[in-house]
Amino acid sequence: MPRALPRGALPAAIGTVVRPLPRLPLAIALTLAIRGLARRRPELFERLRSFSERPVAVVPTDLPIAFLIVPAGADAIVEVVHPDDAGDAVATARAPLLVLLGLLDGTYDGDALFFSRDLSIDGETDAVVALRNALDDAELTPAELIGVDGALGRVFERAVGDALRVAWRLAGAPATSMATES
Amino acid sequence: MDASLRPDPLELVCPAGTPAALRAAVDAGAHSVYCGFRDETNARNFPGLNFSPEELEAGVAYAHARGVKVLVAINTFARPGAVEVWRDSVDAAAIAGADALILADLAVLDHAAAHHPELRLHLSVQAAAGTPEAIHFYTETFGIKRVVLPRVLSVEEIARLNREVAIETEVFVFGGLCVMAEGRCLLSSYATGKSPNRVGVCSPPSHVTYGDEDGCLTARLGGFTIDRYGADEPAGYPTLCKGRFRTDNDYEDHLFGDPLSLNAATLLSGLQAAGVKAVKIEGRQRGKAYTAQVVRAFRRAVELVAQNRATDDIQALLAPLSEGGGDTTGAYQKTWR
Amino acid sequence: MADIELALGPCFFNWPAERLRDFYARVADEMPVERVYLGEVVCGKRQPFNDAVWPVARDRLERAGKTVVASLLALPTTPRERRLMREMAASVETIEINDMGALADRGGRPFVAGPLLNVYNETALALLQEYGCVGWCPPVEVPLTEVATIAHAVPEVETELFAFGRLPLAVSARCYNARAVGRAKDSCQYVCGEHADGMGVRTLDDQDFFAVNGIQTLSHAVHVAAVAPERLQAAGVRRLRLSPHTTDLVAVAQAFRALLDGASEPSELLATLESLDLPGAPCNGYVEGERGVARLAV
Repeated sequence: MPRALPRGALPAAIGTVVRPLPRLPLAIALTLAIRGLARRRPELFERLRSFSERPVAVVPTDLPIAFLIVPAGADAIVEVVHPDDAGDAVATARAPLLVLLGLLDGTYDGDALFFSRDLSIDGETDAVVALRNALDDAELTPAELIGVDGALGRVFERAVGDALRVAWRLAGAPATSMATES
Repeated sequence: MDASLRPDPLELVCPAGTPAALRAAVDAGAHSVYCGFRDETNARNFPGLNFSPEELEAGVAYAHARGVKVLVAINTFARPGAVEVWRDSVDAAAIAGADALILADLAVLDHAAAHHPELRLHLSVQAAAGTPEAIHFYTETFGIKRVVLPRVLSVEEIARLNREVAIETEVFVFGGLCVMAEGRCLLSSYATGKSPNRVGVCSPPSHVTYGDEDGCLTARLGGFTIDRYGADEPAGYPTLCKGRFRTDNDYEDHLFGDPLSLNAATLLSGLQAAGVKAVKIEGRQRGKAYTAQVVRAFRRAVELVAQNRATDDIQALLAPLSEGGGDTTGAYQKTWR
Repeated sequence: MADIELALGPCFFNWPAERLRDFYARVADEMPVERVYLGEVVCGKRQPFNDAVWPVARDRLERAGKTVVASLLALPTTPRERRLMREMAASVETIEINDMGALADRGGRPFVAGPLLNVYNETALALLQEYGCVGWCPPVEVPLTEVATIAHAVPEVETELFAFGRLPLAVSARCYNARAVGRAKDSCQYVCGEHADGMGVRTLDDQDFFAVNGIQTLSHAVHVAAVAPERLQAAGVRRLRLSPHTTDLVAVAQAFRALLDGASEPSELLATLESLDLPGAPCNGYVEGERGVARLAV
């Protein structure tokens, strides 16, 4: 059966809900999260070297927004913009949001997603590859990204992890052993 | 088979592009992990990848605490007038506690053999030593203990070779497949000016572009079209040896190699019988999810093979990770040639 | 300072015995080269057809005053190919090796390190010198400035620069001529013989790119190191290597000789060569450390 939507795409209705939400608070929260991470684990950003100055756009293809990321460690910036306004980026990575989240926490392998065409890249490929490799080493958890730890962090982890697994399944996201094995 | 006659399982040598991948490989059942420094001395010199000396030291500690060995690849060819950069990498790996070094360049082998006689030396696949004669030269000259065989030999040829060489052999069993003899391919250098042999990166991402043209994804290297993929067609690595080309006699297809991953899972028992000591998984540029999944499957497979049991279930487990969604046994079967 | 010599490299292509005989006869009679490399470097399957050619050609070339060096296979694999390699390695004559395996039986006798051998720095070359290396042709991708660094560090080993021909870029276990006609290497029917300069390979956008010659991949473009003799001498280059093609190689050698004798400029050499029937457009990027396919002004 031909696929109507990319694998793992959210239903269009969610995009409709997201569209009018204010973008600035999300951008500020993500910027602070990355800068906090850079303070706690500076070595993650050392592996980016010169690439830390180059803005990369990450575009969830199922939402009317794009993340413009300058991963400059403690000076990192994340902007949330309309996909048409991500022109400053030297490179763009596109995939459904759930797939991008799976890349962020290491559930998915970037090359496998690229081979299967669930992820696409354009612009300066090296900037995306560097960011992908650095993220893969980061072993980022949702809790770590927002800077909560301890018991609260574990509860948050489990909640987000469970929600993602359910979402991946419901949205028909690409299989990985980790996503399909329980 | 009498249990007492059962061979040891094949040593499973697993890739680690980052400290996280190293831990994932160790936790997933690797017998050994191989990795390299974050510079031109290492043949997987991709942006964002690899280890600082401090990270290597921590990685070695993590692996050793779990009974796993760490092999450090310093397997590019040293630049004229800058051989000390490669020598320094050798010294740094020795200080970090590496169990063996994987080397290709005569200059680097010479330094390691002379200054670190206690350290095991493995001959990298990049040295392309595929005959008993070549292996003999490196063994006599540098005292290498193991050779990683170039991916140009069939299982029968490997068996014959093992009868003629005194040292251990290691072969690739899964992952990206070089179509050319390793270390003897300048295709990427010719198109980009960045030499895989010298700076450690084939199809450098800095020279790769992807474009959407008429609904097709077009991959280019240095401006040369590698391939075009239709909307639902699986893509491959942007390497020239996996590209689609036209020839003077009206051929148009993947002239050098199909965009497939090597998967020799079904040949593991044959490789063990051929006298191979260790099997290697390619993929230091892959994510830790991939690493863990492949390592887990292959650890199960080498255990099953050592017990003389079937490996059919391995295939299903690995299919989703293959390049282009398919795989090949490559040169291990003579018809590949 | 000694004059820079010319050498004719081994023929990479599957030419019939007749063509090889005629070619080397003309080399002996007319080509201004001091040295000639003879032998099959690419595919062991071709050896039985042409093995009879080499002694005859050698004899004729030596009578014409040329130094003849036997070139060995780049990727010996089969027992027969390995036996031949060992026999050649054990002989007293100077040989060109293209696989480290030939060193095992060499016993310190003189040899030339061919361009398909990975010798990338002065330490590696000095080590080979201990094993009898008297000359080397650097891997084609090494820029002239770096060739100079190595040549000056190991001056006793003669440096020979690959100066003309399609660039030898890769070898493989797989035969691409056979693959392009749906055959495997074992049943190739010597289809590579249909392409006397290699079979042209284009991108999907019809850009000329490579040429395949059995298990070997070459550049489609023809590398021309049109470098002034003063600069070559300063870099420690003692000899230029010209690689056989169907192009009039005598004319090619004469044009290079004129350049080395100071009778023409690099730009004139290039113009002369372009007026000949080259199998591809000229390129020279590797000389200056650019990508090999680049064509830089000379």
